[in-house]
Amino acid sequence: MRQRLSVDLRLLLIFAAAVVVFGVVGAHDATLIQAATYGAIYAVVAIGLSLLLGNVNLVSIGQAGFFAIGAYAVAYLTASFTWPAGVAPWEQYLLATLLGVVLSGLLGVVLGFITLRFQGPYLAMATLAFGAIVVGLLRYAPAFGGVSGISNVPYAQIGPFAMSGIGAYWYAWFLVALAALATTLILRGRIGRAFEAIRNDPLAAEVAGIPVRRYTIGAFTYAGMLAGLAGTFYSSYLGLVVPDAVGITVSIDVLLMVILGGAGTVSGAVLGAAIIGFTNLYGHSYENLRPILYGIAVICVAIFLPRGLTGLLWYRTGRRTEATALPPAPAVAVPRAEIPAGTRWLEIEYVSKHFGGLVAVDDVSFALENGTVTSLIGPNGAGKTTLFNAICGVVHSDGGKVCIGGRDVTGWQPHRVAALGAARSFQNARLFGDMTVAENVAIGAFASKRVGDADIAAALTGYGVAHMRDTPARDLAFGDRRRVELARAAAGRPGLLLLDEPAAGLNADERRRLRDDITALRRDGITVLLIEHDMSLVMDVSDRVIVLEFGKVIADGKPGEVQQNAAVVEAYLGAEA
Amino acid sequence: MIQLLIAGLTVGSTYALVALGIHIILRATRAVNFAQGDFVVLGGLFALSFVSLLHFNVWLALIGSTILGFGLGALYERFILRPAAKVSEGAVMIASIGTVYVLLYGHAMIWGNEPQPLPTFSVAQSLTVAGSTVAVQSIWVMGLLAVMLGVLYVFFERTMYGKAIRAAANDPVGARLSGINVDRARSVSAAISIALACFAGTIVGPITLVGGSSGITITVKGFVGAILGGLASPIGCTVGGLLVGLIETFLGSRFAHDLVDPLVYVILLVVLLLRPQGIFGGRRIARD
Repeated sequence: MRQRLSVDLRLLLIFAAAVVVFGVVGAHDATLIQAATYGAIYAVVAIGLSLLLGNVNLVSIGQAGFFAIGAYAVAYLTASFTWPAGVAPWEQYLLATLLGVVLSGLLGVVLGFITLRFQGPYLAMATLAFGAIVVGLLRYAPAFGGVSGISNVPYAQIGPFAMSGIGAYWYAWFLVALAALATTLILRGRIGRAFEAIRNDPLAAEVAGIPVRRYTIGAFTYAGMLAGLAGTFYSSYLGLVVPDAVGITVSIDVLLMVILGGAGTVSGAVLGAAIIGFTNLYGHSYENLRPILYGIAVICVAIFLPRGLTGLLWYRTGRRTEATALPPAPAVAVPRAEIPAGTRWLEIEYVSKHFGGLVAVDDVSFALENGTVTSLIGPNGAGKTTLFNAICGVVHSDGGKVCIGGRDVTGWQPHRVAALGAARSFQNARLFGDMTVAENVAIGAFASKRVGDADIAAALTGYGVAHMRDTPARDLAFGDRRRVELARAAAGRPGLLLLDEPAAGLNADERRRLRDDITALRRDGITVLLIEHDMSLVMDVSDRVIVLEFGKVIADGKPGEVQQNAAVVEAYLGAEA
Repeated sequence: MIQLLIAGLTVGSTYALVALGIHIILRATRAVNFAQGDFVVLGGLFALSFVSLLHFNVWLALIGSTILGFGLGALYERFILRPAAKVSEGAVMIASIGTVYVLLYGHAMIWGNEPQPLPTFSVAQSLTVAGSTVAVQSIWVMGLLAVMLGVLYVFFERTMYGKAIRAAANDPVGARLSGINVDRARSVSAAISIALACFAGTIVGPITLVGGSSGITITVKGFVGAILGGLASPIGCTVGGLLVGLIETFLGSRFAHDLVDPLVYVILLVVLLLRPQGIFGGRRIARD
């Protein structure tokens, strides 16, 4: 991620220089300047889509809908609408632009909200439908001129200047620079890290405390506002707007630009827009051949260069690292999240979860003593992971109540539960593959305001993963993945830690180390709930063992007692006897 | 009323075949083929060339267009869908959107931008049913749709190879272990899907004209049908497609032409929100 952003920034600086040189040297060539101006307009749309596609992994084929709203807002308000006397043209233009951008943003919120439930092709189709609905309504509305649209739109007025010719060129690229700057700042900051985590694994991101829904809607809104902004300038520059010119082909064109240049980078969006802008200029005599070549180029890029042209400069396939020798056990005592005095970290009452006719969790109740380690064991399919999911909000229980620190969190979204100081790991170690170890661990502290960079560094050292801090998580050996996930879960200094089969797949050394880690967590006062099949680990670290079978608690007590319990022995078919 | 019904079912036949084609490719490659509608347009144009250049009669042109579609589908899978599927499902979607441009402007380059007429399947143009005038071609479209559905049913449900293709789509690893050539099964799936598209383009060609730039609209309408009926169910796709044709025709008789498509898309959004599995999605008709 860091590699991508630094290449992105350098490319943007090069492009900025090119834009300035081009504007000075090419000022006399009206055709060239015009092509470059249209390139800039599409670049603004593409920058928004690139953020959406490359950072949140949402394919939108509806950006033209926002573009159309911006274009029509300015066209209608500056050409058709009768303003009260005394509103200067530049004020009209400014107000129209603001309205276009705000309307686009509002629709972005609506579309983002609608599309939250969709993924992949469903999402793409829903956005496509959105764009088609907007354009269809514009075509139909008599106030907006129907099929023939609105013409005689005056040039954009910025103060006393009408933006045409070379002025429009500078102004359009100024808009690109603004969009690029804002987007770069977003991507390099806290929000950008959250986006990257969401793109890699939305569920793990949510559980780590990132409000995925809010960020997704935010990304849609931002991309919509940029598309709307581009539209506001488009109709004033062209002097007219017709519904068919802001239809689905604009959406697809912009998508192609982003794919060509490389989704997820600002420079990729600008590069793609520039390429298509200029081939449009020189390809005019090859009316059909030009889009055919785009199509072929996009197919080739999708297959051979999934990260686009700019991806060539930053993407490196990593070498899978060897499992590393384990450094000594952690000695950092981290202050943990607090709950009101006298309350307990976890109390669950009568929690049930059905999947169709299958009862996965059946009326389970227990409360954990603060600062203890409790193991949840039981045969496969007993409902252990479902219970975890119900506790942290990944699934919502059908009945019963989950309380953390005395607060009823039943029905909460996972990121809110995480923000209270409850962290978890997953059975299959869900790391953010494209992010480095250090970035993964930092995401663990996303929801926690108490944790600073020094504490994250301490967690990296404490869990023995500091030496691989800059390795992308996808290149880690399995045992190291587990450790990084534990470090990520612990980095936010949770008070309650849910560990789902942390020993699965570990070798003997790694298991010993895990045992020490859990003991250390207990020493630091963290309440641990552990799902585990490794009985010697369970017996070593647990203060208490709860046994689930077919979703019901069949035994609950000290490790030694549970081991002797006849029902438990039977549940395991004598395997543990 | 009968006229509207027949007109709706005729339009819906295309959407039904497109929805089925999308379903078949989705099953095989886990991705939606955005170019499906452009293959429909292409099929009509193939038939046009068979008729006007080679002087085939329309029946031969129908068979020729369908066979060409089959071959083209196999190539499409081998050289575009399969390599893209190795990258990601998103890449398949993007590659199919790229294919939209290649096909859309490709047929504009070869056959021109203007839609052209295709000869009807019989000399008689219309007949009277219960007091209403009905285009004979509409009867042909519905009849041929029924025949094609029958062929598909027998192939996928009754033949060993059809079952093997379904097995390969459901569980590629298990199918491989049972000795099924999964790559070839995917190829054949795509070939069938594109053959259906070309078949659809040819049978409705005499009514809708062939050529023009409506490919992506056909894809979206077919997809709306698939969503409406249930993307996971072939019967759902068929019924959903027909339903979209009916809805569109009835809306067209009541509202301004420009409002019809937006209204159909609003239906798509509403169905996606309220019942994403579609009308038939809840039951497992497909035995998937």
